Amino acid sequence: MNQFFLGAGIGISFLVLLVLYRVVFGPGVYNRIAAISAIGTKSLIILLIMGFIFHRVDMFVDISMVYALLNFIGCVAVAKYLEMES
Amino acid sequence: MEVTLLIQATDDSFRILEDAREQAEGLLTTAVKITSETRQIEEQKIQTILKGARETKSGFQNFIATFFILIVFWAMLSGKFDVFHLSLGVICSVLIAYLTHDLLFANARVGDMRVIVQRFIVYIPWLLYQIILSNFHVAYLALSPKMPIDPKIMRFDTKLESDISWVTLANSITLTPGTITMDIREGEFFIHALSKKVADDLDTGEMEDRVAHVFMEADHIYVQDVLDVARIYGALRKNV
Amino acid sequence: MIRQSDDIIIGTVARMLVPFIQLFALYVIMHGHYSPGGGFQGGVILGASLVLLLITHGLPETKKLLSEKGVAILSSLGLLIYSGIGLLCLILLGNYLDYSQLSKILQVAPNEARSLGILGIETGVGLTVMAVMFSIFIDISTGGVLPEDEEE
Repeated sequence: MNQFFLGAGIGISFLVLLVLYRVVFGPGVYNRIAAISAIGTKSLIILLIMGFIFHRVDMFVDISMVYALLNFIGCVAVAKYLEMES
Repeated sequence: MEVTLLIQATDDSFRILEDAREQAEGLLTTAVKITSETRQIEEQKIQTILKGARETKSGFQNFIATFFILIVFWAMLSGKFDVFHLSLGVICSVLIAYLTHDLLFANARVGDMRVIVQRFIVYIPWLLYQIILSNFHVAYLALSPKMPIDPKIMRFDTKLESDISWVTLANSITLTPGTITMDIREGEFFIHALSKKVADDLDTGEMEDRVAHVFMEADHIYVQDVLDVARIYGALRKNV
Repeated sequence: MIRQSDDIIIGTVARMLVPFIQLFALYVIMHGHYSPGGGFQGGVILGASLVLLLITHGLPETKKLLSEKGVAILSSLGLLIYSGIGLLCLILLGNYLDYSQLSKILQVAPNEARSLGILGIETGVGLTVMAVMFSIFIDISTGGVLPEDEEE
């Protein structure tokens, strides 16, 4: 079972690397925000997979919920700031 | 000399008539002011009765409903069901429900909350089925070599009336792959659709009809609404 | 009833999420010794919920939930709880913050008294952190200008 989770984790990390291209080279700031939000959702999944590998799921579920919350609030705050600037 | 007396008498009578006319005008303006003030006071009484009816129906019910939902959420989060942790959960839920009970439920209109919750729970499996169907279609579009997409922005008027039904419709449209709600401006939805098939699915208006059925709006008014309105109408007739 | 503004979706969703965020923050504070969490982390999440309400609804709506006077009272109250428990242990002939002395008042075993003592000071820390984070955010976003100064 460990091998399956390890393989899935590596696959999703590869997807994160693909999206990282948009963060670095995206023309303009709106592309970068959308890409960072997408990376946030992928890293949630990676945290949960790590929880399965270490056999302590309940601890990692708490951490993932906090990170999902802060990702959402950060995205809303940056969007508000950009709207107010223009 | 009789002519001067005559002229003096006519002058006096003229003056008396003028005074009487002025007094009559003054009485008329006071009468108009008093009637308009009474009408204002009556209208304010009606407004307070309406607001009070809405709030008394919703204030305590909001608190109890929020308290129950928060208790269930706490029990889901914490796996321990001994007395100490459950009592901590009850104290925390009471505190938060007391502080934020008007945030969770927006009772913008009179209606029975339990019926709305039941219909919402029935609406969710249909939404999941639509999401699965659209997923297949968008995956086919993205993976085929020539990518036959035809993106366009459409706008339509909506027949829904309250805040929360607008938000439910917008979120359902965004959750379904292929369509994204961009903005809601003055009652019009601006939607970005990916291909013609997806836009046609949205144009039939089936999702909007189902959301109106969940929140008992537009052409889906039911008997419970009439009963609630009758109670408020009775209170108005008694006091006015 | 219906606001004619642009952020109707985000406003309604944020308003519905705030009670759940606050309950989650209290759960993180209370379960500090079993799972990751504790006083400071729970206080940060409570502050984040107030910041969310502030950026979506504006300052007057958030002041209904927690006014500036309430912020000042809460930050001092948290500190009072922390040092108050410490002083209580000192009065009961122990060291400062030696929770086993609390078992004289609460009539429980000393190790349970330690657990309850730590729970008490974590609550105090959480309250102070929430109040200070909210106050810093208000000061940065309004530029330090109070409403009564603006009216003049």
